[in-house]
Amino acid sequence: MRRAPTWPRHAIMLAVCLLMLVPFYWVIKTSLTGENIYAWPPSIIPVNPHLFNYVDVWYLIPFPRYLLNSVIVTIMAISGNLLFNTAAGYALTKQFPGKRWIVLLLLSCMLIPFQATIIPAYLITSWLGVLNSWLGIALPMLSTIICIFIFKASFEAVPRSLIDAARVDGLSEWRIVVRILLPLSKPAIATNVILNFIWSWNAFLWPLIVVRSPDMQTLPLGLARFLSVMEDTTGALFAFVVMVLVPGLTIFLMAQKEFIRGLTSGATKG
Amino acid sequence: MNWRRVLLHRFVFVPLALAILVGGWNLYIVYNDDGIIQGVVRDGSGAALAGATVIFFERNSAYFEERKRTITDAKGAYRFTDMQIHIGQLEARTADGRQSQRRLLRLWFRAQNIDVAPLIVR
Repeated sequence: MRRAPTWPRHAIMLAVCLLMLVPFYWVIKTSLTGENIYAWPPSIIPVNPHLFNYVDVWYLIPFPRYLLNSVIVTIMAISGNLLFNTAAGYALTKQFPGKRWIVLLLLSCMLIPFQATIIPAYLITSWLGVLNSWLGIALPMLSTIICIFIFKASFEAVPRSLIDAARVDGLSEWRIVVRILLPLSKPAIATNVILNFIWSWNAFLWPLIVVRSPDMQTLPLGLARFLSVMEDTTGALFAFVVMVLVPGLTIFLMAQKEFIRGLTSGATKG
Repeated sequence: MNWRRVLLHRFVFVPLALAILVGGWNLYIVYNDDGIIQGVVRDGSGAALAGATVIFFERNSAYFEERKRTITDAKGAYRFTDMQIHIGQLEARTADGRQSQRRLLRLWFRAQNIDVAPLIVR
């Protein structure tokens, strides 16, 4: 039987890929030229491209400070997630009274949008005295339910006999997690890191509420501030967008293999 | 441990390459950030103009406003020092009312030393 040629399929996929990349291209092109995005007809090729818009962003607003805040908050969120989600995920692999209800509670909490819990979250943060601080910004992102279940699924895939053997050898529960389960759950760790990076890096609403001083603002808040104080900044604005996006894109491109493996692991059995 | 393999791993190579780039760029800045802006003023025939006033305009959030001015020497040369800016405009004016076009200056970093192309007064 003669096989159908593959080039039409590849051509379609290539066209779809290019279509997906058009917004990225447009943002980068505008950041390099500063041309009016509403100009008609639009110029496909950048005219007189330069990198000075990036220099403007770096100096016209305290970009390094925003970057530092975003990096610290993101590191705190990722660290908290790895610690708390690992513990919670491991606990949920055990059998104990009320486990079913706890799982149901966690799943039902996923149905509640974050916006609905903002007032109690704010009051708790205020009560803890961490408003307008890195910890306060990272607090609601220190553990996420979906990542708990990612760890739970990953831990459950580890053969029970391996854990029993470790226990017979005298390892405590924490050492079983650290020495046995986590090294076998690298895709789950990568998924946790990447998802939490994206969520905390792009967080806008919660930092907007909890941050009071300009020094504590993160990059998304800085973007909003930049829009409000500067005029005639199309190029610089798009340069800012690119500078906010680049760290996330870089990490995603570096870790995409683990990311995809982590998301698809456990999707099929056998 | 296979160091070559470790160094070429993407989680090591990319941050390391970025760190080297940023370090190199900052080193370059350290040696070139005295804030010196200098150049010459000439007339339409290319002759140096002594005694011309050169004005530097700095950009605020909406427009360019005058920040500093200086006078050219006998060779038509001018020099601004300690200019903590990364964007601005330069204009030369003579006592008889002639002036050059404003020259937009965009620098790669704040206080970059730069030799500006001649300002032509017509």
